This record gives sequence, structure tokens and C-alpha cells, in this order.
Amino acid sequence: MVPVEYYLLLSSAVFCIGLYGVLTRRNALYFLMSVELMLNAANINLIAFSLMWGNLTGQTFALFTIALAAAEVAVGIGIILVLYRNFGDIDVMDAATMRW
Amino acid sequence: MVSVSAYAQAIVLLPFVSFVVALFARDNLPKGGAYSGIAATAGSLLLSLATLAAVYGGRTVNETFYTWAVGTGAQDWTLSFGALIDPLSALMLVIVSLIALLVHVFSLGYMNDEGEEDLPRYYAGLGLFTASMLGFVIADNLLMAFMFFELVGLCSYLLIGFHFREPGPPSAAKKAFLVTRFGDYFFLIGVVAVFTTFGTAAFAGAESFPHLAEAALGGDATVWTPGNMAESTWFTIVGLLVLGGVIGKSAQFPLHTWLPDAMEGPTPVSALIHAATMVAAGVYLVARMYGFYVLSPTAMGIIALVGGFTALFAATMGVVKQELKQVLAYSTISQYGYMMLALGSGGYVAAVFHLTTHAFFKALLFLGAGSVIIAMHHVEDMWEMGGLKNKLPVTYWTFLAGSLALAGIFPFAGFWSKDEILYETLIHGLNEPLLLIGYVFGLLAVPVTAFYTFRMVFLTFHGEPRSDLARDPHPVRWNVKGPLSVLGVLAVVTGGINLVPVKKVLGIKGIDVLHKWLNNDWGGIEGLSSHHYAKIGPYESGYLFGGEAATVIAGAAVSLTLALAGLALAWRLYGVADPAEHTAKLGQIRELLYNNYYQDEYQVRIADAVRDAASGADTFDQGVVDGVVNGVSSVSLLSSERIRRVQTGIVGNYALLLTLGLTTLLVVFALIGGWFQ
Amino acid sequence: MIIEALLAATFLSAVIVFALPDEYAPKTAFGLSLVPVAGSLYMWATFTGSGNALTGGDIAFQTVLPWLEVAGYTFQWYVGVDGISLPLVVLTTFLTTLAIVSAWTPIDTRKSQFYGLMLLMEANLIGVFTALDFFAWFVFWEAVLVPMYFLIGVWGGPRRQYAAIKFFVYTNIASLVMFIGFMMLVVSLPINSFGLPAITQSLAAGELGNFYFLAPDALAAVAFAALFIGFAVKVPVVPVHTWLPDAHVEAPTPVSVMLAGVLLKMGTYALLRFNFTMLPEQASAFAVPIAAIAVLSVIYGAMLALAQQDLKRIVAYSSVSSMGYVILGLVAFTEFGLGGATFQMIAHGLISGLMFMAVGVIYNATHTRLVGDMSGLADRMPVAVWILVAGAFAYMGLPLMAGFAGEFFIFVGSFGSTVLPSAPLFTGLAMFGIVIVAGYLLFAMQRTLFGPFRLETEYELDRAPIHDIAPLAALLAAIIVLGVVPSLFWNMILDATVPLLDLLGGGAL
Repeated sequence: MVPVEYYLLLSSAVFCIGLYGVLTRRNALYFLMSVELMLNAANINLIAFSLMWGNLTGQTFALFTIALAAAEVAVGIGIILVLYRNFGDIDVMDAATMRW
Repeated sequence: MVSVSAYAQAIVLLPFVSFVVALFARDNLPKGGAYSGIAATAGSLLLSLATLAAVYGGRTVNETFYTWAVGTGAQDWTLSFGALIDPLSALMLVIVSLIALLVHVFSLGYMNDEGEEDLPRYYAGLGLFTASMLGFVIADNLLMAFMFFELVGLCSYLLIGFHFREPGPPSAAKKAFLVTRFGDYFFLIGVVAVFTTFGTAAFAGAESFPHLAEAALGGDATVWTPGNMAESTWFTIVGLLVLGGVIGKSAQFPLHTWLPDAMEGPTPVSALIHAATMVAAGVYLVARMYGFYVLSPTAMGIIALVGGFTALFAATMGVVKQELKQVLAYSTISQYGYMMLALGSGGYVAAVFHLTTHAFFKALLFLGAGSVIIAMHHVEDMWEMGGLKNKLPVTYWTFLAGSLALAGIFPFAGFWSKDEILYETLIHGLNEPLLLIGYVFGLLAVPVTAFYTFRMVFLTFHGEPRSDLARDPHPVRWNVKGPLSVLGVLAVVTGGINLVPVKKVLGIKGIDVLHKWLNNDWGGIEGLSSHHYAKIGPYESGYLFGGEAATVIAGAAVSLTLALAGLALAWRLYGVADPAEHTAKLGQIRELLYNNYYQDEYQVRIADAVRDAASGADTFDQGVVDGVVNGVSSVSLLSSERIRRVQTGIVGNYALLLTLGLTTLLVVFALIGGWFQ
Repeated sequence: MIIEALLAATFLSAVIVFALPDEYAPKTAFGLSLVPVAGSLYMWATFTGSGNALTGGDIAFQTVLPWLEVAGYTFQWYVGVDGISLPLVVLTTFLTTLAIVSAWTPIDTRKSQFYGLMLLMEANLIGVFTALDFFAWFVFWEAVLVPMYFLIGVWGGPRRQYAAIKFFVYTNIASLVMFIGFMMLVVSLPINSFGLPAITQSLAAGELGNFYFLAPDALAAVAFAALFIGFAVKVPVVPVHTWLPDAHVEAPTPVSVMLAGVLLKMGTYALLRFNFTMLPEQASAFAVPIAAIAVLSVIYGAMLALAQQDLKRIVAYSSVSSMGYVILGLVAFTEFGLGGATFQMIAHGLISGLMFMAVGVIYNATHTRLVGDMSGLADRMPVAVWILVAGAFAYMGLPLMAGFAGEFFIFVGSFGSTVLPSAPLFTGLAMFGIVIVAGYLLFAMQRTLFGPFRLETEYELDRAPIHDIAPLAALLAAIIVLGVVPSLFWNMILDATVPLLDLLGGGAL
């Protein structure tokens, strides 16, 4: 059996790629995809530990998270559409009018 | 038999009812409320006479009829209203209600016949004024006296400012109230101090404050004093504090400035204020609590000096005035100065005597002046008059009687009372040099008084008419002549109630009625008699030329001579067909006198300084005090303006901050948790 | 249960008025506000309490119910009145009704909300004066601010938002200071109740413990200072008074009436209940600075009033001056001092209410409040003007009116105080206020009411409508009745204040 550390390394790598994407990309679609990556990194962790302890709770959580991610994508795409309608662009830096 | 206390309450309540009626019935009243006022004051007069008779029969009253508030514990003081009916207050009740009645009648001629508007307000004011003064007269304690004293002040404000649509009267009313309020400030401290010191403010009885003060000085009682001050010093201070109110109301130097301005009020009101109510209240108060004042030689000395100085000081200003009522105003100040001089020099009876005679002849002079003013269509300048003698005979003869009384010419009322004041001052002054100064002031004021009085008479009534108005004066009716005649008779005969010099020189017993009256010969209240005051008072008598009779004759001769000299000078200068304005010859002095020694100016300057200080305080308040408040708020606003810049609104920045924050936290926890060791 | 009924009726009235359409709100609000008036008068007539509520006296109309338990402390629903609070409840209900009538003319927008907020404020004020558990008391205390904030901020003058925020923030910060101080005190006591009587009696028994490093004495001093600062803002005393004139000038007439008439009394009431009842020894230790503040408030407040040109500002600053007398009476700590201070709260509530209403009536007609803009109004609006004159004389302390009774009691009480060193000096200085107050009121009256008629604004002056005059007349009547017969309230006040003197071993003399 693959030791759990390998899964964690994979998960960290995926998370860091997602984080890098969130911090560097200005396009909202990239942004959304990066967030998905981070979520999936968390899923990998959940499943890895579930495997390690032989407990199904982690897998159940992962399923929930996937369902949630799907819903989140729906909402996220909706936001991106509104963003485009209001600013004519999907650059996340433009939408800075609701600060104070 | 109805109790005398019930009389006293009814005496006060009747004019009050007339006030309430005039206030609420307003336009439904015949003659604007004059009749109800006349009825009420007539009722008060009758009851006052009944009270006088009761006191003559030995029935005096000293009882509380309403408890206003009581304390418990250490301050178990009773603040109450009650009646103190003794010879002094019974006499004063008669004077006040008589003058009030005559003023009401006279007002029919002065106000109703002249077509004044708003008469219910006028009669309501008169009613309240009379009621307040009567309430003050019967007061059995200092607090009640203070309360009615203040109400008297309110009424004078309302009546002086009666013609509020013109600019002058409201201003004069304000000044009158404000200046007397300044005096009342000291009076109020005095009342508070009396309560704190003695636990009571009653005037009479074993538990009264004059009695307790006497006992405390004799070592028979202990009282509170601030910081364990010596009792005699503290009593002097308390007495002087109360005196502040007296000086304000009785228009003594330096708080006399409101009185000449108060001439802006309708003339009958002036008569009431000067003869029987407001101005008289101050002197009456000193007489009422005389048992307290005589315990303090310092306070007595100050009263005498203030009185004597005011008598002379005010008389000199009366010399140059051109308006009839102004001359009378200064004469009032001067005459009340005499009364204060008498009180300060131990002449209790003399002061009350002069209060009585002055009430009659001053009311007479004011009403006479009112009659002249009606005739002259409300012109008051004496240089516009002249020759009214034949056109207004009743006014002339009564006015002349009043003037002779004021000037102190034998045998008119004023001669007897003024002479007795000077006599008392002299005999007590022979052992007390301070009083001699007062005596000299008083003596010097005699010729000045005679001079300005007769300057007024000659300018108004004698010589040739100096204007068209004076050539064809408006006639006056019974309602003017009636009160004048009554007062004219009184001005001639009132001296008869106290013929002390005659008694002393000729040895006729029993003709010094007022002396015996105030000496409780027919009944009175223990501790409120003239011999009691003389016994505990600070003065000894001394005589000139080896005897009492000789002193009496010498004093009377000197003052009468001086009065006649003043009269003669006035006759010589103004008793001619076409008098000239001799005052111009006085040059600088005339300016000084005409401007009242610039007393008003400095008081106005004080008022201005206070207002400047007030606007300075306002600037300070808006700038500094409120500035700090607004400063605090702008500091917080400014800092929030800076700090909010962290919120860029750019989602990437937030993500970065989140990441950094998490990383920092992890590193910190790691360091603390010891992962790197 | 009558207090609960009173509170419930007032809250319910507020809800009903909120829900009504605008045209019915004014008269319905007036009608409904008569219920608490009747209730409070019934309480006054059947009052049987004796002694002070906090020091173990017999509390009238008392209810004690356990409510919550948090962190070992019991919060109770604890209400009741004694001789100090009952007159204030009567004042609140009476003044609210009159203020509602006086609003008929000036308030012409969002009427149902206005009257609803007025009734809501009344309910909370009744709560403040009847609650005897700190928790409930504090809730009412803070809840008063909310309707007041909206009443000034929505219906006020041009700078209403500034004034409303200043009022709210200033008094709220003060409440915070007070709250912290009081909590320090309570957690250092060996009791598990927030009932004010329990706290008072525990403090009187000397059970105060340490608060961290603070010894009991120092703790009591700090708590006293915090409480004093907290309540002083509400009173207000110099130098924390500057919110008051702004709030008054911007507030509409009926709101000014409530603000000056009742809200300021919350401060002095709380000072009496907390500082002077719970911590009397600290009060006597701080007597000289507090008396100095009182004298400063009297004189400085009066001087500020003298400098104003706006009639409402004049009356506002004179409130600062009058409340200084109350502080002086409290700090003197004698029968007449404490009693007079409480009496003066009632008297000043009535008189300042009358003054603000009368100025409001003039403003309704002239649309200006500046002294220089008008003169000779007595010619055109005689009844309103003469009532205003009577009110001004009441303010000056004319005898046989309520103001004189309050002021005289305070002066006569404080002159011989043994708690306050140099009491005669402080009293004498404070009394000079009666001269300045006469000065500025007489000057203002002479210039606006008398003289030849002149008005700078373009409005036709007519006699004021009857519903403007009626509340003025009612207040004037109340002032005179209370001035002639002070014992209507005086006896119960004295009954409740005298037990406090035992806390310092007898007080004066």
C-alpha cells in the first residue's frame, strides 16, 4: 500500500498549484478553476486519511465536497457572468467598487 | 368673634381675588376691573382698620396658618406662612390698603378716562401688587417675607413695563427687576443663613431668630456659625446680607439707579411703588426685624451711614431735574434715606413715623403730579408748565400741602417726622461720632430738599404759562380730586399722631401716640416693642445745652431754618413770573448732577463687561470645550480614513493576505510549539 | 403589578400608533398617553412605600421574579418605586402627554412613527425610573437613546444628523465608562445578584473585596469616578455639556421638552441612586471637586446662556445651570439638600418643559428663534407670550412657583452641610446664578416680546391655536400648584432621602 505521505505530497502540490493560480491569475475563470484545484487537494487529503484509518467518514465528506463544488461552480459561473455584464470583462481586479 | 388672624388673611386675599377676577374675566368687567379692585381694596382697608382696632384692644396675633414644607432629622425646620399682627404691622396694613384704595380710585381718572387699552391687565397688576405687599406686611417669618418681597418685585416689573409697546418701559422694568434682584441675592443668602444658624426664621416669640440671637450673644444659647466664627461677627454679616435686599428695594445707594427709570410706569403705579409698596418694603423689613439689627452696632452704623449719605446724595440730583416725576423720584430715594438713617441710629419710632407721613405726602405728590400730567396731556417737562395754580386749584392746594410736608415746614406732617429723625440721630450721635456724620448728611439734605421741592412747585404752578398746553389744561374729575383731597388732609394732620417735641418742651403727657403705640402701651408682642429695642440697642443718649428740651428746640430750630432758607432761595430764583434756567450757572456741577453722578454709566459698564465675559465664555466653549469633543471625533474619523485603505476591494489582495496570515500563524505556532527545535 | 401594566400599556400604545395611518396618529397617541398618566397618578394616590428603596425601605408596587441565570449571577425582573422614583414617573407620564399635544402643530411628516417613538421613549423612561435590577435598568437606560436618536435625526433641524450622532455617541461612551465602573464594583462583591438593593446593602456592610490589584478603597474610588463621569454626561455638567445645546437646537419642540424635562433627570436620578446611595463615603471624599463642578456648571452655564442669540440655546444652556443646583444639593448630603435636589428635578422638568414649549409656539408662528429677528410679540400673541413670561419668572425662581421651592430647599440644605467643607462659600457662589438667570431671561424677553412689533421673517402672526396653548397652561398650573403646595411630593421625597443620611452617620449639623 502506498504510504499516506505520498498522498499528502500530491495533495500539497495540487493545493499549491491552486493557490498560485488564485494569487497570480486575473481572469475569473482561471480563478474558479484554481479554487476547484484547492478543493480537490482537500478531497485527496480526506480520502488519504480515510484509507489510512480504515474509516469511511472521510470518503463521505469527500463526496459531499464534490457535490458542493459542483454547486459552487454553478454559483461561480453565475457571478462571472454578472461580472462580465457589469464590467465588460472578467478581470477580478476591476470589480473593486464595493469596498467602502 | 372672627379671629384677627382671619382678618389678616382676608386682607391679603381680597386684592388677590381682584387680581384673579381681572385676569380671567378680562373684557367682561365694567371699567376694566377698576370696580372690583376698588371694592377689594376698600374691603382690605376696612378690615385693616378693624385689625388696628383689635390691636388697640390688645388682641395681637402671631400664628402660623399654612405649613409650606417641613424637614426632619437634623434640619427639622418648618417653612411656613403665618400672620404677625402687632402695632407695627397693623399700622402698615392701614397705610398700604389706604394708599392702594386711593390709587385704584385715581386710576379711574388717570387710566380709564384717558382711554388706555388693556385695563384688565393693569388692574390685575395693581391687585396682585397690593396683595403681595399686604402679604409681606403680615409675614411672621423671614422666608415668607422674602417670598412676598419677590412677588412685589414681579408686580413692579409688570406694572413699570405696562406700556410694553414702547421701547422705554420694558427696559426700565427690566432694570428695576434686575437691580433689585441683585440686592435680593444677598437677601436670599441671608434667609438661608438665618435658617442654618437659628433653625427658624420667625420674627417674634421665644423661638424667633432675633430672640435666639440675643440669647446667643448673652451666652444663653448656642447657634451654628460657619467655621466657628464669633457670633457677633456672624450676626453682623447675616444682618448685612439681608440689608442687601433692603438697599435694592428701598433704592439706597448704590442700588438706587432703577428707581428714576421706573418713572416709565403709569403715574398711579409710581405713587403705589413709592409711597406704600415696593420701596417701603425695604425699610419695613428692617423695622420688622429690628430686634436682630440692634444687636449689631456695625450693621446699625452701616445702615445709618448708607441712609444719611443717600438722603443727601439723592437730594442733590433732584435739584436739576426738568421733569416733574424725576424730581419726585429723587426725593423718594432721599426720604427713604432718612428712614434708614433713623433706623441705623436707633430711632425706630422716628423711622416708622416718617414711613407713615411719607406714605401720605409722597402718594399725594405723585397723584398730584398725575393730575398735572392729565391736565398737560402727558407732558412732564416742568419748563412747559407754569401758572397752573388758578386752573387746577384742588391739585394746587393739595400739592402745596404735600410739598410743605416734604420740605419739612412747620406744622406739616413731614416736619414732625423728619425732625424726630434728626433729633434721634443727634442725641445718639453725641456719643457715637459715626452717627454725627449721618446727622450732618441728613441736616445738609434739609435745605436741598426744600429747594428742589419748591423749585418744582414754582415751576409747575406759579408764574406765567410757558406753553399752549399750560394755558389751556385738560380738566380733571372727582376721581382725581377725591384721592388728592383725602391725602391733602392727611399730609397736614398726620404729624399730630406723634407730637414728641411738644411733649418734651411743654411737658404735655399723652400726645406722643405713635410712641406709645409702638411701645406696646395698648398691647403688642413681647420683644417687639420700642423700649425693648432701646434696651438691647447699642446707643446711649446725650444732650446739648444741658437738657432734653433745649436739645429739641435747638435741633428743630436749625432744621426749620435750613428748610426755610432752601424755600426762600427757590422762591427768589423761581418764584417769578418768567423764571430762568439757573441750573446752567452751575456749569460742570450741573452736568454731574444731571447725569446722576454717572452712577448709571458705571452700572451699564458693569453689565456690558459681564456680557463681554459671557461672549468670551461662549467663544471658549465653542472653541475649546466643544473643540475637544469634535477633535476626538475627527481623530477617530481621520484614523479610520487611513485604516480602511487596507480594504482594496481586489480579491487577489484578500487571497494573498489570507495566505500570508495563515502562513504567519503556522510559523508562530510552530515556533511556540517547538517544531524547529 | 401596576408597574408592569403601565409598561405594557405604554409599549402597546407605541405599537398601535406605529401601525396607524398618519392622520389618526396624533389624537390616538394623545388618548393612549392618558393611560399612563392615569396609572401614575393612581400610583401616587395609593403610594404606601416608606424609606429608600435601596437601603431596605418598604418598596411600593414591587415585583421580584427570577429571570435569567448567567455565569453564576441571577438577573431578576425587579421593579418598584419609592419616594424618589415615583415623582419622576409622574413627571414622565405627564410631560409626555403634553409633549405629544405640543407636537400637533410642528410635526407634519411621518406622524405615526413620530408619536410611536415618543410613546416608546416614554415606556423606556418609566422602565429606567422603576427598575431595581441593574440588568433591566441598563437595558431601559440604553433603550431610551434609540427613539431619541431617531426623533432628533429624522424630525430635527438642518444639522440634525450631526446633533443626533453627537448625542448618541457622547452619551453612549459615557454609558460604557459607567458600565465598566459598575461591573468592577459588582464582581468584587460576594453576592450573586444584580439587584440594586442587594448591591447597596452589601456595599454598606463593607463587603467589597479586591479587584485584581485594586484594594477595596481604591476600587470604590475608581468606580465612583467612572460612575460619576458616566452620569455627568447625561446631566450634563460642565465640561461635558456640549452635546446638549446642539441636540436641543436641532430637536423639534416636543423632543426638546422630553430631552430637557425627563432625559436630563435620568443623569441626576442615577447619580443619586448609584453614586450618592451606594458610595456615600467616596461622595463625601470627593465633595469639594464635585461642588466646584456644580458651581462651575451654574455660573458658566448661565454665562453661556447670556451670550446666546437663539432662544432655544438660551433655554438649553440655562438647563446646564439649573442642573448644577441639583448636583450641589446632592453633594451637600443633608435633608434639604438631597430632598431639594430631587424636588428640583421635578421642578426643572416642568419649567424647562414649559419654556421649550413656549419658545416652540413662538417658532411655529414666526419661523425664527433669533432674538434679533423679532420684537413686540406680546402685541400679537398675548396669551402665549404672557405664559412664557410666567415661565421665565418660574425659571428665575419666583416664590410660590416650583422652581423657587427646589432652589430654596437646595440652598438652605447645602449652606450648613458638614459633608462639604466651605459649604457656605460654595452655596453663596452658586446662588449668584439667580442673578444671571434673571439677567439673560429679562434681556431676551425685553428684546423679543416687548417694544414695538417687528418681525424679520415673512409670516402673518396670529393668536396661537388652543392646542398649542393648552399644554402651556397645564404646565404653568402644575408649576404654581407645586410651588404653593410642595408637600404633594416633598414629604415622600424626604421620606426616601432621609435614610441615606444614616449612611454617613447623620449628615449635617
